[in-house]
Amino acid sequence: MVMNDNGTMSNTTLPTSSAANGTPSVPTFAVKAGLAQMLKGGVIMDVVNAEQARIAEEAGACAVMALERVPADIRKDGGVARMSDPHLIKEIQAAVTIPVMAKARIGHFVECQILEALGIDYIDESEVLTPADDTYHVEKSGFRVPFVCGCRNLGEALRRIAEGAAMIRTKGEAGTGDVVEAVKHMRTVKQDISRAQAALAEGEGALRALAREIGCDAVLLKQTAELGRLPVVNFAAGGIATPADAALMMQLGCDGVFVGSGIFKSGNAAKRAKAIVQATTHYQDAKVLAQCSEGLGEAMVGINCGTMAPTEKMAGRGW
Amino acid sequence: MTITAGVLALQGAFLEHLVLLKRAANYLQQHEGVKAPFEFIEVRNAEQLARSDALIIPGGESTTISFVAAQSGLLEPLREFVKVSRKPTWGTCAGLILLAEAANATKKGGQELIGGLDVRVHRNYFGRQIESFHADLDLPFLKAGDSTSGAPFPGIFIRAPVVEKILPSVDGIQKAEEQTAGTVVAPSKTAKDEQARSAMSSRVEIMGKLPGRLNKAAAVGAEVDAGDDVGDIIAVKQGNVFGTSFHPELTSDIRIHVWWLRQVLDSVGDRDGVR
Repeated sequence: MVMNDNGTMSNTTLPTSSAANGTPSVPTFAVKAGLAQMLKGGVIMDVVNAEQARIAEEAGACAVMALERVPADIRKDGGVARMSDPHLIKEIQAAVTIPVMAKARIGHFVECQILEALGIDYIDESEVLTPADDTYHVEKSGFRVPFVCGCRNLGEALRRIAEGAAMIRTKGEAGTGDVVEAVKHMRTVKQDISRAQAALAEGEGALRALAREIGCDAVLLKQTAELGRLPVVNFAAGGIATPADAALMMQLGCDGVFVGSGIFKSGNAAKRAKAIVQATTHYQDAKVLAQCSEGLGEAMVGINCGTMAPTEKMAGRGW
Repeated sequence: MTITAGVLALQGAFLEHLVLLKRAANYLQQHEGVKAPFEFIEVRNAEQLARSDALIIPGGESTTISFVAAQSGLLEPLREFVKVSRKPTWGTCAGLILLAEAANATKKGGQELIGGLDVRVHRNYFGRQIESFHADLDLPFLKAGDSTSGAPFPGIFIRAPVVEKILPSVDGIQKAEEQTAGTVVAPSKTAKDEQARSAMSSRVEIMGKLPGRLNKAAAVGAEVDAGDDVGDIIAVKQGNVFGTSFHPELTSDIRIHVWWLRQVLDSVGDRDGVR
């Protein structure tokens, strides 16, 4: 069964402040969320240098995520993971014409200011890096550059949107090549939305009670219940390693996919990247999926999430 | 007979177009007595394209859309659709780039174009996402001869392209453009019959402009002749091929979709559903 119900999201306006036309201040939320809408149905690939960025662009990536180490290496190396060197980011920006995203640490608003000054197209306030603030995420509304943030459930997604995120992704479990956590987070969001819809049918009181329970803004919760989906674009991320993984997440209702370590930690990166792009477009067509899954060489070895200690998991960072 | 309008669904904001097309069709049926039934479909393969009487190419990443089109065996069928059968086609943003006969600022090694509009498009002309903007647009074609309001249209420009040059209408490919450094061109196609030829036009109509080019150019110290008709070209039409560098699909304003469906009805010659 195909559960994709993306069609209802469009043309929404969020209760976010917007600048007047033509002023050099913060762009309207429609402009920030608009780029995410342009990325839908596409694959955003992690790259660590200009050469990989070109491979990603040639393979049909709709954007690249510029970073110094892919999550699998961050996991292996340990230590504090921070924003990438601006020099690296500039090299990647110069190499490709597609949007370039970059990661900042949770709560590290100065890293965000730096990335904005570099002209990054989207900032990922990411649990893959070491959090810089254990209480606050970045206040994102005041930035000109739009933000994407990870979530494990609806409450977390709506807290990020209230802070100004214009795009959401599942946290999954980055750098593992195991899709189980991304699936869990996507299903949890959907179940939470069903609960919100039931609460909406019951009445305003029930909706407010649910907003209190999951810790989010009641207005955003109501809007989500009415739409039957998140009010912004929602991508899958964290553990996607094969064309079938990408199509699985699309059939579960995601709008597109991030692939981190899955491509450049595999045997034939260019071929795998192209196959995942094809699979994300033709996610409902099993014949095409069979074709593009063929002969891709070795997938990333991966880590089984079931055998990981909770402290090893990145998804628990942020709240 | 049902009029089928397809939206190319390889990547990008195709669902947004489908939502607005449905609303626009309702409007035409309820307010303008259009009886022809409409059907709107997602187009991912050649069979779905063959079913379509008209097509929208949505905003998205143009390099991704042309890559996936090539991988899916759709590039040539799309060129046949637009340039040989000359069926009504509208491209927004990435779609405008793909419908241009020439484009620059493309990725290294260039990219495949469909063509259909004798224009050169400058990709990402307005810059990166932090330069993306909203601007109210004065679009004269929306005011012509009907009751819809003359309010400005909310133009949303996301890393948007601009029509940099109107090219002469030529038989075959745009040779001068082909020889210009950093510019890619679409392959030449010939309209298949008289009907297709009649849907073509040698004239590119400028359908919308964004004022302020003079200011922008002056700000970066470029030389601009103030006597010129300055303003960035952000909407063009040539025969039944239409392109906008902004995104009506990101608004809830159905006026351009209503206008385009009227064009489709005129082109298939069927407002009463009796074709």
